[in-house]
Amino acid sequence: MGILGFYLRKLFNIVKREMLVLPSRIVVGLFFLVLLLLPVVTQDPYVLRILVLTSIFAILAASWDLLSGFTGQMNFGHALFFGVGAYTAALLNLHAHIPPWGSIPLGGLGAVLAGLIIGIPCLRLRGTYLALTTLAFPIILMGIVFAFSNITGGELGVSGLSRLSGSRLSDYYITVVVMLGLCTIMWKITDSNTGIIFHAIREDEVAVRAAGINTTRYKLLAFCLSGFFAGISGGLYAHFMRIAGPSTLEVSMSFTVVIWAIFGGIVTIYGPVGAVFILFPLLEFFRFWPEYRMLMFAVIVLLTLLYMPDGLFPWLRDKVETECPRCKIRNVATRKTCRVCTAPLD
Amino acid sequence: MGVQPFLEIEGLSKRFGGLQAVDNVGFSMGRNEILGMIGPNGAGKTTVLRLITGILKPDSGGIHFKGKKIVGRKTWNIVNLGIACTFQNMRPFRRLPIIANVMVSCLSPRAMKRGEWVKRVEAKAMDALEFAGISDMALEKASTLSQGDLKRLEVARAIATEPELLLLDEPFGGLSPAETDLMAKSMKRLHKGGRFGRLHSEGPAMIIVEHKLQQLMKIVNRIIVLNFGIIIADGTPEEVVNNPQVIEAYLGQGGT
Ligand SMILES: Nc1ncnc2c1ncn2[C@@H]1O[C@H](COP(=O)(O)OP(=O)(O)O)[C@@H](O)[C@H]1O
Ligand SMILES: [Mg+2]
Repeated sequence: MGILGFYLRKLFNIVKREMLVLPSRIVVGLFFLVLLLLPVVTQDPYVLRILVLTSIFAILAASWDLLSGFTGQMNFGHALFFGVGAYTAALLNLHAHIPPWGSIPLGGLGAVLAGLIIGIPCLRLRGTYLALTTLAFPIILMGIVFAFSNITGGELGVSGLSRLSGSRLSDYYITVVVMLGLCTIMWKITDSNTGIIFHAIREDEVAVRAAGINTTRYKLLAFCLSGFFAGISGGLYAHFMRIAGPSTLEVSMSFTVVIWAIFGGIVTIYGPVGAVFILFPLLEFFRFWPEYRMLMFAVIVLLTLLYMPDGLFPWLRDKVETECPRCKIRNVATRKTCRVCTAPLD
Repeated sequence: MGVQPFLEIEGLSKRFGGLQAVDNVGFSMGRNEILGMIGPNGAGKTTVLRLITGILKPDSGGIHFKGKKIVGRKTWNIVNLGIACTFQNMRPFRRLPIIANVMVSCLSPRAMKRGEWVKRVEAKAMDALEFAGISDMALEKASTLSQGDLKRLEVARAIATEPELLLLDEPFGGLSPAETDLMAKSMKRLHKGGRFGRLHSEGPAMIIVEHKLQQLMKIVNRIIVLNFGIIIADGTPEEVVNNPQVIEAYLGQGGT
């Protein structure tokens, strides 16, 4: 009892000193809590379904940020990874009878392979050329899908997959926990030394080389990591929908990911995740007015970007938090002095 | 078997379109030399440094570093062999804090292998900043730095790879006379070698490209003069400033 009390107090102190001091951390904590506790309040199948899909696309948007936001390798064909993950998982499940907990990670590995295959020709390309080349890859794969329609099912896709799990509730918990876990890992990666090198490559690749860093290896690493996470989201999607079709490879899919990420704020990981949690349910909501759906969506995205060029979440964060001019620690905007170094905040 | 020169360059040429930027340049230098390189604007000095670090590929010619052929190798391999360079038109990672700028160099395989008792890249990066004199701004974004401080950041990034040959492209450019003196002193200290906090200095040989002749002459014992991509003089500072060809090249440009 005494020991338990000790650890509880310790946990309480950590939460109080580290989490409750910053609005952004409180929001992240609430985000975790709400998602994990939501089924206590409602188990409405429609709500759960929307949140499962939102979580899946949140992984996809964050993985785009990891590659294109951080290393600046503009990928306009991110659907490739999503599609490869979905088809790999689907075919392995259908033909090799590998259950979802095996086929989904293998779908991720399939997308890693795709990352290597497209990463190598993309290494030499920059800017517009890179964007156009990456745009082409999912279209090429879609061509292959239609060419081998006896295996891939062509337009109809691969259907009849095993369900993700036995029930709606466990489907929900699996995707939400995987999403929270993977996004935390991605954020950790960007916060590490590797993340610093990714950042630096985006800023000035030649200067990174002149610092003795093998930029080729790091760019490929970014393609593979991003591919892995996007592939997992594709695999989850296939098993949740129980079908992997050519729509996973569509150009509009690639562009939607970019819009989500830019709307939420690139080079943050949390931005794209938050953006999907706002925009995906919103798009569902607009389903009630189908004729205005895309129009309203576009207007909201445009207005946001016009007034918040760095994206929604960095903008919000700057409103509620200020950086200490001396020690660069973030503080609640209402504070007059820094919580760590006590320098005045202006 | 004769003694291997530390750095040996033969017949190095580079052409940009119709412009012969570097024309049959050849020289060699020893392990303990500090070499000055001067010449009017557009003489090809920066291009020579870029050819050495592999940022540009020469049209012809050879470069050997410690007996190894380095033409055709990737820039990062050359840097990991022990050659570091700074950029004349500073190229910081603007949106990263200054400490992170230097940490990138500290994460290179060469820097990670050295400094047996320091594994913390932050600590090492901090000491490189300390040496360059900008450690007080470690947490600022690089975009907030002044010209002079950017020059120092360039130096900090270069020395963080613990090079044996340091190529400095106009390290005094944009610095006030007092700052120039300070930088020149730092260069001399670095050349002596030793430990600066957790950063180890090999006592690198240096090639310093510079316009400020008076400052340069205090540090270097040999100067190479380039004009139109050709070496027109190579000798001690005294020999070089009295060389009629050099005087003409500079006067032709309006003097320095
Ligand atoms: N990347 C490039 N492309 C085309 N021309 C270049 C390039 N780099 C340098 N030059 C040209 O080569 C010549 C030598 O340049 P540079 O080596 O920078 O001279 P310096 O450093 O001595 O002032 C200049 O005329 C310059 O315009
Ligand atoms: Mg120059």
